[in-house]
Amino acid sequence: MLTIALPKGRLQKKVLERFAFAGVVPEEEPGSSRRLIVPALANPALPSGARFVLLKDGDVPLYVERGTADLGICGLDQLLESGADLLSPVDLGFGKCRLSLAGPKLGVAAMADPFAALADTAAPGRSLRIATKYPRLAARAFARRGVPVDLVRLSGSVELAAVAGLADAIVDLVETGRTLQENGLEVLADLLQVSARLVVNRASYRLKLEELLPLLDKMAPTAPEQT
Amino acid sequence: MRRLMAIPSTLAAPPPGTQDLLFEAARRLRRCEAALAALFEGAGYAEAIPPLVERAAVFDPPEAAPRTGKAGADDSSTALLEGGALAAEKHPPGPLRAVDRSGQLLALRADFTAQIARIAATRLAGISPLRLYYRGSVVRESEGTGGELRERLQAGCELVGESDPRTDAELLSLAAAAPGALGVSKARLSVGTVAWFSALVDAADASPRLMHALSDAIDRKDRPTLERLCRAEVAPGKARDALLLLVRAPVAEAQAGALLDEARRLAPSPAATAALDRLAATLPLLRSQRSATGIELDLGEVRGLGYYTGLVFNLYAEGAPRAVGGGGRYDTLLGRFGDPRPAVGFSLDLDVLVPLAAASDVTGAGSAGSLGPSSRPPSQAREAQPC
Repeated sequence: MLTIALPKGRLQKKVLERFAFAGVVPEEEPGSSRRLIVPALANPALPSGARFVLLKDGDVPLYVERGTADLGICGLDQLLESGADLLSPVDLGFGKCRLSLAGPKLGVAAMADPFAALADTAAPGRSLRIATKYPRLAARAFARRGVPVDLVRLSGSVELAAVAGLADAIVDLVETGRTLQENGLEVLADLLQVSARLVVNRASYRLKLEELLPLLDKMAPTAPEQT
Repeated sequence: MRRLMAIPSTLAAPPPGTQDLLFEAARRLRRCEAALAALFEGAGYAEAIPPLVERAAVFDPPEAAPRTGKAGADDSSTALLEGGALAAEKHPPGPLRAVDRSGQLLALRADFTAQIARIAATRLAGISPLRLYYRGSVVRESEGTGGELRERLQAGCELVGESDPRTDAELLSLAAAAPGALGVSKARLSVGTVAWFSALVDAADASPRLMHALSDAIDRKDRPTLERLCRAEVAPGKARDALLLLVRAPVAEAQAGALLDEARRLAPSPAATAALDRLAATLPLLRSQRSATGIELDLGEVRGLGYYTGLVFNLYAEGAPRAVGGGGRYDTLLGRFGDPRPAVGFSLDLDVLVPLAAASDVTGAGSAGSLGPSSRPPSQAREAQPC
C-alpha cells in the first residue's frame, strides 16, 4: 500500500492529472466530500493498492518525512523551507514561480546590489525588517550576503506588510508580479526558481522500491517544459 | 481517583526529545540489547563501556581535507538558494556541552565511535584486530530548530586495525543479521562507497561548493538538479557521466556486478577504479551468509563524506520512517588520536528498532501493554514528541 500526500490548492488539479497518467486515480475527487483519505482505483501495476491524503502543501514534507505518507508532492519552496530530510527524485515541471525579494521601487542604480541598497533604506539604528512566510529561506538569503535582518513571520497577505509599513520589504512567491505592481512594489531579486517536486520517504524508497520505481518513471515529465 | 497536586510544568515531563521507559518498554529494550549482545559476542566482539561524560574535543567533527578544485568555484552561478547551498550551510547536531570547575569543556556522549576510536588509539594502541561492541545512550542537540535535546539508544560494533575487504563483509553481515536477531522480519541493507564519489569529484576538479551541491543532489536522488549542475559546471567526460550514474535506483545484490561493470567503464582515475574493485571484492563475501535482510547496491550512498573513507551502508526496516542503523569504513578517524589505523563499524538506533521488534514479537509482548502511556507503541509516543 502506497500512501500519497496530495497538496490542496493551486497544484492539486495538475498533480492528479499526472497521477492519472501514471495510472493512479482516486475513487473520487479528493476534497469533493469530507473524506480525508481517498483510496485509489484498483491498478494491476500497484497490486497492494494506493490511497491519497489531502494536505496543505506546507504539511506535505512533514507527513512524508515521518513516513505517514510514502510519497507526496509539494513546491520546492515548501520542501526547502521545511528542512525535511527527503528524497526528491522528480521535478514535475509545473507549478512554476519564483521566491523573490520584493519591496518599494529602489531605482536602477540600486539594483546592482539590491540587498545592500535595501539595508540602507532601513531607519537608522534598526535592522532591515523583512516580512515572509519563509523565515528559514529568507534568513539564509540575507545571511549569505551578510545583511542583518529582523524577520517577521506572517501566514498570509505578505505584500500588505510592505505596503502598510510593518516591514521594509518582503520575501514571497511571485507568479505574475501583478499584485506587487498594483501596490507599488517590485521584485528586487529572485532567490529561488520554484516548481512542483515529487518527494519520497527515505525508508519507503528502499522497502517499496518495486512499487515506486515504475510510478516515479511515469511521473517525470516526458519532455522538459519551457519556462 | 487520586488527585495530582499542582506542580510546576517544568517538572511534569522529561525534557523534549527524551523519554521514560517503563514496564514492558523497559523489558523490551533490555531483551533486545541482550539479543544483540549475544549476536555480537558470538561473532567475537567484546563489550566496551566508555564514560557518559567525555572531553568535548573527542566529538569534534573531522577537519575536512582542503579541496583545491576550481570547477564551479565561482559563486555567482548560485546567487539562487539551492538545496546544495542550503545543505552546505547546515550544521550537524552537536553534543551537549558543559564546563566543569577546572574550566575543562566536557560533553555528554554524542557518538560511541569517536570514544571507541579514542580508546583503541590510546590504551589499546597496537592491538590488531580489535573487535569491540557497545550499547547505551547518545545525546545530541536536536536537528530541529528548537534546540531540544535528543537522547538516542544505540548499539553497535567497531573493528579496528584491518583493512581487508573481508572485514567490510564481516561488519555488513553482522548489521544484516541484527534485524533477524530482534525478530524484525523485513529489512534492507543499502551498500555503497564514498570513495567512488570522492574520486569522481577529484577527477572533475570540483570546488568545495560544487562538491557539496553534487553530494546533496545525489543524496536526495535529485536527478534534475544533478543534471543541471553537471551540465553547467562539470566538464564533459567520464567523470561527468559517472556522476550522473549516481542517482540510478539501487539494484539487488544479484545485479550488483552488472552495475559495477557499467560504472567501471566510466572510471576516470585509478582511485575510482580501486573504489569499485573494493566493493566488487566485498559483495561476493556476503553471499554465503543466511539472513532475511535484503542487500542492495546503491552507488548514491554519499552521506558521511569526510568521516567515512570507503564502504558506507544504511539499514532500513519495515515500519521505521528513516534508517534504523548505518556505518562504514573510517580509516582516518584514529589518526586524530595519534594511532592512524584503519577501522570499520556500524551503529543501530534501538529506539527505532526496539518497537518494531516488539510489534513482531507476538509471544513475548503479553498483555502488559495496558500499563499506561509509556507502554503505547512507541511509534505513537514519538509522534507526540517535538523533534
